[in-house]
Amino acid sequence: MKPETNDPLASPTKIKKKFLNTPYPWLIPLSLLLIVVFLYPIIEIVRMSFSDMNLVDSEYTYTFESYVRLFTLPGFWPMLGTTGFFVFFSVTFQLLCGFIVALLIVRGESLKLKGTIVVRTSVLVAWAIPGVVIGIIFEMLYTETQAGILNHFLSLIGLGPITFLSDPTMALLSVTLANIWRGTAFSMILMYAGLQTISKDVQEAAKIDGAGPFQRFRNVILPAIAPIVLINLIIISIDTFNTFDMVMALTQGGPGNSTEVIALSIYTSIFQEFNLGVGAATSVILLLINISMTLVYLRVLGKGRNES
Amino acid sequence: MKSFSLLSCCAGCFLIFAVSCTSADDENTLTWITGSDSSPDAPDEEMSSYVQQNINAIESDYGFTMQHSIHTSNIDEAMARLQEQATRGQAPDFALIDGYAIERFEEHLQPLNELMDEHGMDLNDFLPFAQDVMVGEDGNVYGLYLSTDIRYVFYDTRFVPEPPKTWDEAMEISLDLVDQGYEGLVLPLGIGEGTAVTSLWPLFWGQGGELIDENGQPSFYNEDNKEHMLNVFNGIHKGVQTGAISKRMATNGEENDGNAEISTGLVKMLYPGSWQINTFQDILGDDFQYWDVASLPMLEGGEQTSSVGGWAFGIFTEDPDKQQAAFDFLQRTYVGAEGMARFTTRDGSMPVRSSVYDSPEFEPIPFIDEFLDILEKEGQPRPPDQIYNTVSVQLQTAISQVVSGSKTPEQALEDAWEIATFGMEDDE
Repeated sequence: MKPETNDPLASPTKIKKKFLNTPYPWLIPLSLLLIVVFLYPIIEIVRMSFSDMNLVDSEYTYTFESYVRLFTLPGFWPMLGTTGFFVFFSVTFQLLCGFIVALLIVRGESLKLKGTIVVRTSVLVAWAIPGVVIGIIFEMLYTETQAGILNHFLSLIGLGPITFLSDPTMALLSVTLANIWRGTAFSMILMYAGLQTISKDVQEAAKIDGAGPFQRFRNVILPAIAPIVLINLIIISIDTFNTFDMVMALTQGGPGNSTEVIALSIYTSIFQEFNLGVGAATSVILLLINISMTLVYLRVLGKGRNES
Repeated sequence: MKSFSLLSCCAGCFLIFAVSCTSADDENTLTWITGSDSSPDAPDEEMSSYVQQNINAIESDYGFTMQHSIHTSNIDEAMARLQEQATRGQAPDFALIDGYAIERFEEHLQPLNELMDEHGMDLNDFLPFAQDVMVGEDGNVYGLYLSTDIRYVFYDTRFVPEPPKTWDEAMEISLDLVDQGYEGLVLPLGIGEGTAVTSLWPLFWGQGGELIDENGQPSFYNEDNKEHMLNVFNGIHKGVQTGAISKRMATNGEENDGNAEISTGLVKMLYPGSWQINTFQDILGDDFQYWDVASLPMLEGGEQTSSVGGWAFGIFTEDPDKQQAAFDFLQRTYVGAEGMARFTTRDGSMPVRSSVYDSPEFEPIPFIDEFLDILEKEGQPRPPDQIYNTVSVQLQTAISQVVSGSKTPEQALEDAWEIATFGMEDDE
């Protein structure tokens, strides 16, 4: 058996030196920061969700009550349905509209049309506006009295007033539309960046080979921008699932709870009913949805990309 | 060199962490939290300079530096945050508290009896409802009420010559207005505390309804209360079905939403709060002379009732010097006879001390006599119990569902009860 001292690698000084020559020490500060800022709050939220904590009493007990309450009381499943509708249509149309706008700008640029920069900048403005402000702007648009901008114009052509916010179905549609408008700009930015990466030579070659516009889109453009679409999809889906500010400013979740999305329900549980346990349990559900959705996207779209 | 860089990096992180954890507690600083309108940052210049002058005087007399922060505009959220701070022992030295909620903070607040005696403040000078809220179960005073408000019906006498006394009369008048091409009765019926205190509680309380029982448990669906609350829900539902109340009201959650409504010129009858009267005067201009106020119409046979609100200050600090300075500041600015007269005149709210109404420094808002009459005869504060917020939120949501047509009154009420009382049977 060889004595330990004879192994140069086993010397503590050597080990230390070798460790310092790796990237790991440089990751320590960031890891610590991530643990403090991300991991610890997540662990705390999970812990809270298994308790009956509230904002007032410092005493609490551990219980499954918050989850039982969520899954058994009226309101939770309709809220998930509302959120699902809101997210599905928001993401689909943000992606679609973002792509169309980006395609138009790229096309405009290739045709050397004037004003493409103005269009690009104008669309970007929507991205820069805070959600609360967008909520207020759309509330002014949707107002159902004569003071409402949309209803004013609709009444001029004999179509108003429309119950944009007081009818449960219309309210959900109105909120989703506002969110599509809000998110289209971000999608456009990513799609535009993706479209810029496509080689003109490849497109030209496809054209010469006789590929029509749809074939070029399906076989050249789409595969080339697939990574961007995947990233875009993940970001806007998570962003939409977590939407709170705009809905709060626009409808406060009403009428009734027809526009109450998950993030708003967390706010109501914690800050209006002081119920930390239920708020935390709802947050855990939201976290799980976000994680699962990201994994599904990565698996389905990532796989598709590898195959292509 | 590498080791040094790494060490610097870690030290930097530690420094950032340490700085962020530094306590703001300072024995020479008097911390307080208030509402935007009653702060040195008030949008009204006269109010801001009035409060600032008193801050300067206290800083000069007591040697403290006064450091204020502002409550968020969402009152429930503001109270939740303050409660969380108080529970963690990190409340400011004194704070503005939603009047009815004083009792919730009692275990963290300091008794003020001695300071009141020292400053010659007579508890009996406060209006009876305020005394009830200010005095805790142990007989000590924990909160200093500074202003109050009530709800009423505001109507245009050219279109509504006689104010409605009952809900049915209100619906008849409302339908008549709709037939003439105007809006029907405008009242908050969406998600917001305004819906609870203005549209639901008075009608419910008027019938003798009880929201929360003596054990602090929801009771709005027990025995007679269920019938009383269903009467309220059915009355409102019928109003919406007949067209006397617009479905649009499901989007109005606060009394202040009435400001936008009245500005359209189509509203001739609405339920506001007393603080809105100055705004109405500005909006209506010369037409204001045709408008009048009356008590809220009640359901048939109901006793006349209105919700009272308002704000109070509580002192959290245990330091006697800070308590002295805080009380002196509150007395000079908001709560002393002179301070309250000056503050409420600037604020447009109603004083809660009887003597202030006769004070030469008090300039009353329009209809102050009628408001005071309603306050004294009909005013009822919300229950201070912890469960109140859950009850209120659930019933706001329920009535909003009824008005928007997504649930029947029975179903909405039953669901609200199920949510508000979840798990309570197990506790008993």
